[in-house]
Amino acid sequence: MTERVGDEPLLSVRDLEKHYPITQGYLSREVGAARAVDGISFDLRPGETLGLVGESGCGKSTAATSIINLETPTGGEVLFNGGGRWNRQRNEDGSHPNDVTAFADDELFAFRRDAQMIFQDPSSSFDPRMSIGSSVAEPLQVHGMTDQGRRRAIVEDLLEQVGLAAKDYDRYPHEFSGGQKQRIALARALVLNPELIVADEPVSALDVSIRAEILSLISDLQDEYGLSMLFISHDMSVIREVCDRVAVMYLGEIVEIGDAEEVFTDPQHPYTEALLSAIPTADPRAEQANIELRGTVPTPTNPPSGCRFHTRCHRVIQPDGIDIDQENWRSLLNFRDEVLAGQVDVESAREIASTAAGEGDDADIKSELRTEFDLPESFADASVDETLADALDSLLDGDDETAAEQLSTAFTTPCEQSEPVMTDHGDGHQSQCLLNESAQSAPQPTPSDD
Amino acid sequence: MATDKSSRFDNVDWEAVTADSGRALSTNLLGTLLCVVPLIALLVYDFVALGQYEDTFAFVGIGYDVTQLDWLFALSLILFVFYALLPLYQNPRITRYYWREFKRNRPAVVSLAFLTFVFVVGLLGPIFISQPEIDLVTQYQPPIGMSVQNTYPVQCLGEVTSGASGQLCHGSLAHPLGTDSRGRDILVMLIYGMQVTVKIAFITSLIVITIGTAVGTVAAYSGGMIDEVLMRYVDVQQSFPTFIAYLLILYAYGGGLFLFIVLFGTFAWEGTARYVRSNALTKSEDEFMKSAELTGASTYHIITRHLIPNTASSIITILTLLVPGFILAEAQLAFLGLGDPTAPSWGQLLSTGRDALPYAPWITLMPGFLIFLTILAFNFLGDAVLDALNPEAQAESE
Repeated sequence: MTERVGDEPLLSVRDLEKHYPITQGYLSREVGAARAVDGISFDLRPGETLGLVGESGCGKSTAATSIINLETPTGGEVLFNGGGRWNRQRNEDGSHPNDVTAFADDELFAFRRDAQMIFQDPSSSFDPRMSIGSSVAEPLQVHGMTDQGRRRAIVEDLLEQVGLAAKDYDRYPHEFSGGQKQRIALARALVLNPELIVADEPVSALDVSIRAEILSLISDLQDEYGLSMLFISHDMSVIREVCDRVAVMYLGEIVEIGDAEEVFTDPQHPYTEALLSAIPTADPRAEQANIELRGTVPTPTNPPSGCRFHTRCHRVIQPDGIDIDQENWRSLLNFRDEVLAGQVDVESAREIASTAAGEGDDADIKSELRTEFDLPESFADASVDETLADALDSLLDGDDETAAEQLSTAFTTPCEQSEPVMTDHGDGHQSQCLLNESAQSAPQPTPSDD
Repeated sequence: MATDKSSRFDNVDWEAVTADSGRALSTNLLGTLLCVVPLIALLVYDFVALGQYEDTFAFVGIGYDVTQLDWLFALSLILFVFYALLPLYQNPRITRYYWREFKRNRPAVVSLAFLTFVFVVGLLGPIFISQPEIDLVTQYQPPIGMSVQNTYPVQCLGEVTSGASGQLCHGSLAHPLGTDSRGRDILVMLIYGMQVTVKIAFITSLIVITIGTAVGTVAAYSGGMIDEVLMRYVDVQQSFPTFIAYLLILYAYGGGLFLFIVLFGTFAWEGTARYVRSNALTKSEDEFMKSAELTGASTYHIITRHLIPNTASSIITILTLLVPGFILAEAQLAFLGLGDPTAPSWGQLLSTGRDALPYAPWITLMPGFLIFLTILAFNFLGDAVLDALNPEAQAESE
């Protein structure tokens, strides 16, 4: 047993990667990988709640299961310093004795006592053929507590602490409501007295009225037992309620991380802005800048080059020499991407144009295409107008490739060319966006472990 | 009690707990061991100390030689008690719940009562009732309420009346269900047949459940190469011509009911394995499996405590289809003269009545009727058990 020194984090995730291979053919040849989690790093201090937020499919849950080692990560380190593992130094070969991903079986078994997880769906997280008492007591039994009476006493006490009755021990999962089951899930996560709890969307499946109760129960228990928590959610308002710090994930990467208050009041990444603008406010008269993300949603199998968010970013940077309305620039890039992907259907535009009031000639088709892609008749920049007109001509001639080339040579953004690095905004608030790098004139390298 | 210091989760000294953890035997395993160990001792004694034709229980003065089939039957009974009945008693709450659900299906309740009757009578009947004796004098006695021309029985034990076509012999209380062509009492033979049926049902279930469930759940939970190898072996075995193998062994070495049960049992689990696997695959994706893994439990623990209980409904369902199949197959083979002539099965009785069908139909009717009822009961039972054992489905539909 060693004591904690300094401000050593409880959990320290470094460049964590989880790639799922995509195989093809009889020999299961690997043809690619879904980069569900692609190099995330963060620290979690004792007693702290870190929120991991992002849209569905961005890799939050995979990050959780990789950290807790339900799935073996394909790269990176997860250093867990709790459970009497404080203040250990790296081995000579560079590996760390506290690296969960490299734990031997007996170490992993001991780690299971120190870190537990709560799942999203309360209806399927209990064995329907086991009384909930046995389910909650199971971890005790697995970890060698053979005294049945003691197990029962502990579980009954715990059930009361999470707001249920001791006599609920013998009842079965189907006899409880979703909120009650999530309380029981909390009890099971707690029963081994862990230091870290990973909560994967613990309230997403619950009614709004129940949600608040569970959240306050979670923070009560956290205060009482000094738990650290990794709280995963897609809902910014829930994150705001429970988290001390927030990490925003987009397509397998963390794009912004910082104190919750900082991130919520002064978001530095356009994606965070968009997420925050989606929180409903109680005041119906409040002005709300509801940012709508347009553009193609990329897949983790083939993430976009440069900044991964550039295909949808509402603040995507214009290159030197182009200076038009930001919204039009976004539309222009979306149009370019669609043409590049061969997704623009000139024929259906022609059909619509000919059935509408107009003559159905080329001018009508072009204006139809402009309406479809939110492109104005004229931009503030004559050269932009010209290129777009040429590209539309090529499209109508059926020459998609020329159109694609014209658009992609004229309209480029720095966002797709250079990868942003983490920019520090002070107090551990960091974001990964080219806009912030240029604002800080001299881009700083990623701060090393703090 | 609840305020006791040791009964709070945050006061557990895990170093101490894990240090003194001996593996605790569950009541079920303990009971099984307590019964199986003497059984094995007896088996060894029978094979080593006693000659082939000496009675096993001669040392306590019971003149009964335990057959190969009896050993297996005893084992399956022990497992049935400790892994089917005892868990129901240990978890009264869920048992009551299953029973409430099961009770809704009236035909199934009647079926259960009937099958329990067959089980109890088949198990105990032969102990109290002596074997039917061959007595040609009393052959072809009709059952109560039926009559036969008095030329067939040598001596009519019941009332003899004159009818249009000569003298008629009526049934009597001495043989309520009549006698067969060798004068054996049909009621007694049916009771002995019940024991054979119960043995077929239990031993084949034991073999099929053990192998099928093990293969199915291990394949589903492990996945990858293990899954591939196990399931391809299942494919290979499924194409094995069991019936021809049975005939070959029968003609080459001879064989009895033991051969039938063991051969057909060990070559009938493929369907179960496949069905259990598909069911276990969906279950192993559930979050409760993940949370079980999160406790650090071993694969063995997860499969036996979570995966198998949750695939139980599919196992029981497929059993209620398989067991009637076995009973029917035995009857068919016996009827074709390929059965075990020494085993007093219903099928055997059926086949002895074959030649007497025109004038003594009861000899075939009685066992035929029982076979029909038993199979029907199994089918009703399977339906209701499937519904009752599915608490999730019930909870969702409510």
